[in-house]
Amino acid sequence: MLEVSQLAHGFDRQPALWEIPHLPWQGLSLVHLRGDNGSGKTTFLRLLAGLETPRQGSIRWTLGGTSVSPPCPGHVLYLHQQPYLFDTSVAGNLRYVARWNGWRGATARDRVAAMLERCGLAAHAQQRARSLSGGERMRLALARAWLLSPRVLLLDEPTASLDRQAIADVSTLISSLHETGCAVVLSAHQPSVLTERCDEYWCLEQRSLQVSVFKQGVAV
Amino acid sequence: MHELMNTAREALHLLISLDPALWEIIGVSFRVSLTAILVALPPALLIALLLARVAFPGRWFAISLVNTFMAVPTVVVGLVLFMLLSRSGPLGELRLLFTQRAMIIGQILLAMPVLTAMLHSTLQSIDQRAWETARQLGAGWWQSLWVLIREARFGVIAAVLAAFGRIIAEVGSAVMIGGNIEHFTRTITTAIALETLKGEFAQGLALGLVLLLLALVLNVLLGVMRGRGHQTVSV
Repeated sequence: MLEVSQLAHGFDRQPALWEIPHLPWQGLSLVHLRGDNGSGKTTFLRLLAGLETPRQGSIRWTLGGTSVSPPCPGHVLYLHQQPYLFDTSVAGNLRYVARWNGWRGATARDRVAAMLERCGLAAHAQQRARSLSGGERMRLALARAWLLSPRVLLLDEPTASLDRQAIADVSTLISSLHETGCAVVLSAHQPSVLTERCDEYWCLEQRSLQVSVFKQGVAV
Repeated sequence: MHELMNTAREALHLLISLDPALWEIIGVSFRVSLTAILVALPPALLIALLLARVAFPGRWFAISLVNTFMAVPTVVVGLVLFMLLSRSGPLGELRLLFTQRAMIIGQILLAMPVLTAMLHSTLQSIDQRAWETARQLGAGWWQSLWVLIREARFGVIAAVLAAFGRIIAEVGSAVMIGGNIEHFTRTITTAIALETLKGEFAQGLALGLVLLLLALVLNVLLGVMRGRGHQTVSV
């Protein structure tokens, strides 16, 4: 669960991009974060991930009954619009995660192989990660995150600059991830199959955050 | 011209026949320079990381200082070390003057600015997302640091090659604090200087050829590293 209070953030001595007095979120839904260019969508997601420190206010995540301030490595993950892939093979990128989290031997191998299979990357396992197409890169970044079974994924325009097929593949993967119990907040400019599946909308406008919750397509 | 050809032929013969005196000098040069690089690399890497990744007051001055030290002539390093290590100097008690250890110290001082400046530039160009991604995916501080260095590996190797090229070819500090002692502190460059003064051009030329060959190998390797590094960044 997320609890944001009195949050304000801006750059240097500029006025705050927005002020969010209170935002409680159960951390279960698929959320579409909207806003014009420069409205601070990326900044907001980075603040939630703990990659930036807010100028004012607080952000608290309740994970497993404990309330913590971000960053929450392995639990609340932010994926860059252009995900950073390590300069190694596709499988090597997943092996890094396995190593960092203390998985060794057969356990690590099995988990990596299963995740590559699940994300449709098994055929590319030995390929250099940076030679993948845009859609495959995003799938690899999602696979890397999924390996940790995170509680929340914060996705910064995950389908921007992808072709139709890649958007469909990435959307399917994100939906599958969400179905496993991982809450997702994704920013996107254009409506897509993915944004239509969202059950909550957060809109950054007029220096504030407007929240709309939908249940079976009806605003509540 | 005829004399030059004869000298060149003689030099090649010395090299190919594995002349013990010649290869001993080459061995000393490589031992001293490789040790200096191995000792200089860890602190240079640490300083470069600090300069590239940590914001602190005076950071830009520190960077300028490192860049300035790159231009220090080798004889100046030799002179300062000579004054420090000579019997009447503050470190005279250590009795290091005219030893390989003294030469290693001199070469460390010469390698450090080159290594630090090149490593700083390499590490600064690494994408901030690499660190953020590693940390978010569960890497500890040291693991993230190691990933960062691994991502910059071609630049790191290029820095090592460039610094090695500089110190193995330097003569000023080696002759001043090594003393050019036969079978002990005589290196390729100090031997060339001595043999030329003695009129023994063949050995000097043979050693010169070794340096030239080394320069060629290092440049080819640097080119390969630059190519790979460029590929890494642009893909």
